[in-house]
Amino acid sequence: MASLAKSRDFHRLSPVWNVTFNLIAGLFSLACVFPFLFVMILSFTDEKTLARNGYSLFPEKWSLAAYEYIFKAGDQLLRSYGVTIFVTVVGTVLSLIFISLFAYAISRKSFKYRTYFAFFAFFTMLFNGGLVPTYIVTTKLLGLQNSIWALILPLTVNAFYIMIMRTFFSTMIPDAIIESGKIDGAGEFGIFFRLVIPLALPGLATIALFSTLGYWNDWFNALLYIEDPSIVPLQSMLMRIENSMQFILQNTNNPSLGMGVLQSMPQDTSRMAMVVLATGPIVLAYPFFQRYFIQGLTVGAVKE
Amino acid sequence: MSSTRKKLTFGLTSILAASLVLGACGNNKAADNSAASGNGDKGETVELSWYTIGTPQKDVDKVMEEVSKYTKEKIGATVKMTMIDWGDYNQKMQVLTASGASMDIMFTASWAFDYVQNARKGAFAPIDELLDQYGKGIKETLDPAFLEGSKVDGKNYGVPANKELPAQEVWRFNKNILEENNLSFEGVRTLESLEPLLKTVKENNPDVIPFQVDKNFMPYVPYDYLIEKFPLAVKLDDTEYKVVNVFETPEMKQALATMNKYYKAGYVPTEAATLESSSDVQATGLWFADKATTQPFADNVWSTSYGYPIISTPQSDALVYNLSVMGSMQAISANSKHKEKAMEFLNLLNTDPVLRNMVDSGIEGTHYKKVDDTHMENLPESKNYDMPTFSLGNVMLTYLNPGDPDNKWEEFKSYNDAGQPAILLGFNFDPSKVSTEIAAVQNAKEAFWAPLMTGTVDPEAYVPKAIEKLQAAGLDKIMAEAQSQLDAWKAANNK
Amino acid sequence: MKALGRHLKDINRNKAMLLMVLPASLWFICFSYLPMLGTIISFKEYRFSGSFLSSIINSKWVGFDNFKFLFRTDDAYIITRNTILYNAVFIFIGLVLAVAMAIVLSEIANKRLAKWYQTGMFMPYFLSWVIVGYFVYSFLSYDRGMINKIAIALGADPTQWYSEPKYWPLIIVLVFLWKSLGYNSVIYLAAIMGIDKSLYEAAMIDGANKWQQIRNITLPMLTPLMTILTLLAIGRIFYADFGLFYQVTRDSGTLYSVTNVIDTYVYRGLKTTGEIGMSTAAGLYQSFVGFVLVITSNYIVRRFNKDNALF
Repeated sequence: MASLAKSRDFHRLSPVWNVTFNLIAGLFSLACVFPFLFVMILSFTDEKTLARNGYSLFPEKWSLAAYEYIFKAGDQLLRSYGVTIFVTVVGTVLSLIFISLFAYAISRKSFKYRTYFAFFAFFTMLFNGGLVPTYIVTTKLLGLQNSIWALILPLTVNAFYIMIMRTFFSTMIPDAIIESGKIDGAGEFGIFFRLVIPLALPGLATIALFSTLGYWNDWFNALLYIEDPSIVPLQSMLMRIENSMQFILQNTNNPSLGMGVLQSMPQDTSRMAMVVLATGPIVLAYPFFQRYFIQGLTVGAVKE
Repeated sequence: MSSTRKKLTFGLTSILAASLVLGACGNNKAADNSAASGNGDKGETVELSWYTIGTPQKDVDKVMEEVSKYTKEKIGATVKMTMIDWGDYNQKMQVLTASGASMDIMFTASWAFDYVQNARKGAFAPIDELLDQYGKGIKETLDPAFLEGSKVDGKNYGVPANKELPAQEVWRFNKNILEENNLSFEGVRTLESLEPLLKTVKENNPDVIPFQVDKNFMPYVPYDYLIEKFPLAVKLDDTEYKVVNVFETPEMKQALATMNKYYKAGYVPTEAATLESSSDVQATGLWFADKATTQPFADNVWSTSYGYPIISTPQSDALVYNLSVMGSMQAISANSKHKEKAMEFLNLLNTDPVLRNMVDSGIEGTHYKKVDDTHMENLPESKNYDMPTFSLGNVMLTYLNPGDPDNKWEEFKSYNDAGQPAILLGFNFDPSKVSTEIAAVQNAKEAFWAPLMTGTVDPEAYVPKAIEKLQAAGLDKIMAEAQSQLDAWKAANNK
Repeated sequence: MKALGRHLKDINRNKAMLLMVLPASLWFICFSYLPMLGTIISFKEYRFSGSFLSSIINSKWVGFDNFKFLFRTDDAYIITRNTILYNAVFIFIGLVLAVAMAIVLSEIANKRLAKWYQTGMFMPYFLSWVIVGYFVYSFLSYDRGMINKIAIALGADPTQWYSEPKYWPLIIVLVFLWKSLGYNSVIYLAAIMGIDKSLYEAAMIDGANKWQQIRNITLPMLTPLMTILTLLAIGRIFYADFGLFYQVTRDSGTLYSVTNVIDTYVYRGLKTTGEIGMSTAAGLYQSFVGFVLVITSNYIVRRFNKDNALF
């Protein structure tokens, strides 16, 4: 009750609860991070000691073999990073535009057709035509075979994000704002860009984050549509190495497959190394998005 | 304010337009490409599109240029090879085929883009007549068992690669540990006969796994399976050609009991039933015995590959199964517009050493150099063109490596000739009428297959349960269907 | 004629909004609705013959035959039960914990620490199920797993985890929560950040303590989001995350009674025959049931609060 005296942050928790909360969040956080650290250590372990001793935090022998293998097998690693960054940035921007416009429109009660469009979007979350029809539309109809846009466009719109964004718009934007914008004579687009967007930043940041992660982690589209090695994104390149290793492993009993193919592969350790290489950058980029959900932006919105 | 709106509208529309235009650009490019290759039709030279398996190599295009020069002269065709990585092959080929992409020749096998399945689905063109007209060389060089065994519903759909033919199961031993314990594998042939050796190793070498087994393991029984890892089979010497449930046979029952005995005694790894592959253990060398399929000079290959000596002894006869002939095939796409030329190319590939070695090793002088008439050596550049030899065609035309014995291919030939056809060679079961039952049986069998085969569970208790579940899932219906198909095939082929 | 005139007037009045939905709508048509036409394969015995279109046209119509394998045996009951039960637990517990964690994070005094915690919680999202499977294995392996080693040290007997079905429902739920909690709580965290601070100020002035504030402001403000996310999850209640049930369980046969879900059943069943019609049929079945459930739930929600419904 003493907290009332200093109301600098009216959200102040009592110290006991604060510590408890810290513990809960902290312990869970540790449990989540720990395997990741483990993965890093494993990626620097010598493959043979791994096979002999199992997974261990303190490997007997360290080795860079896994990374060497990957750099050799995918010597266009740098280029793949570039492709992925381009695809992610362009894709996320495009996504934000498409998604937020659609979500905003269907969040507005004044839009006569909002229910239809909401359903139109939602339906696609449940039903989909499958791999081959999508492939045909993308290659035959849109001609995106071997184009970098085949990595961007298939992921641009996501009905799930639209639904989330719509909820953000309807809960975070008081009608009063929109009314005041109309009174000032602004058009719909003007209201949207000038008044609504600044208020909806946490929501936009969330969608931007998910979108970024979606693009960054996608390897499947490249598998299907990309032949040209100069536009193969990172995850795809790594996945190719991984899938092929897996495939050969599963077929070791196949005499034709040739035993020479298998022996040069450091299997588990390179899998771990791939995880490190693939997720490292995004982990570093994450704090950028985080600003928006933790600190929050105290925007003086409705000052009556 | 409306000017803002106008600007925004403009901005939006232009983004949209840009996306569409870029898409259209892609379309035009695609159209251009197809027009370009269409021109090839009108002219004399045909461009063949060849899809093969393996990690894409840097110098593929370079080598194909050389190959094309050669083939243009010989048969009036150029070759464009597209390599698809091991792990992606199935998925990618499925999608390419289903979308009707234009391909001429593609690699297929029982374990990659399933040959039988896709032949039935209509992905490949039947090649019997093509072989007679343009593939005479192939017919002459291949052991007839290859073409017999790869018939699907009476027709051939792929050209098998000439390589080792019969499959023979062997027991492999880690030579060091064998000698350490003064053991000999003389007289070892059956699963039971392994016991004394396993016992000794278990006592003397606590760190070593006596019998390395993983979830893919199946004890050898003298039966030919209708479908891989599926309980229906026919006994190898059965003149009646009766289809049986393998779990009801005395041989399998005994084998499973022995495996259970070994498991309980600790000879088999505890988690064998969920172990995907033994390669980790093989890398460490801490195992004593396991089961494998052999080929000529296999011991040498294994020893070099693992880095420690391996020695083996047979546990079964060398028989030619359906799977043996479907290990590596080249099929002609049903959509191909140049089927005759494709066959001509395959004929050349499988008979002409010059072409075959070019495709296999690259450009002479750049990727490899010839040491003498039959031997070659890889040059440093060869790392940019490292191809999986067995997947490209007749391996017996390829030059030998410096370490290979001179009579390598002769040995292969005599090994192939000595192989006897297995009872079901040439019969490929058509599952389309019973696909529902097969899906159900698959799930039922997967639940206990690995645990039984690896000896993890007690067969006395489990096998009756297993049989019951299989029946409930519809095994009988599948068996009846299989039997009627088999009887029809038997009659048609006078067996 | 008048109706047409009225329609055109409506369109004109809504033209700004319509323009806004245009880009994404075009996208949906291209990438979702056009391919959806391909579901017709579920009713055909798909065989290749030329282009995709001609393949479809020439393939034999088989009605509902492709769906039969999903209902044939006892397994049908098991997989359906497993899928629904696991998803129900995931949805419910996932929701409660995600909201709870979001509130916890938003209340922690030291914002920098909270940021670190939150970054950490996100990590599991980046690991694929294959890798997660390895981890679980490093804990549960009979010979080398951490848990058995600890058990032996404490004098107990080691357990063959991958052969005992009874532990797995718990294991699967724990692994799922571990992997998804960080990701899911972000959405709620962002929503909490968007709540108007003046509401809390007013509550404090009225003498409400922390818990009352949470109960009366935070939770109600989050309700629309919680409802939507739950409805969306219900739509996917027949879909299971394949990686979780296949990789983490190492495809162990003895565990099937508690780990076989519709997706794994379909995968295992179609490995031999590769019938595309059957796999498409399975997908259609999953979609359809989910669809019916969502429409029903949505209707129920509408009765309570029109605004919270999906549509």
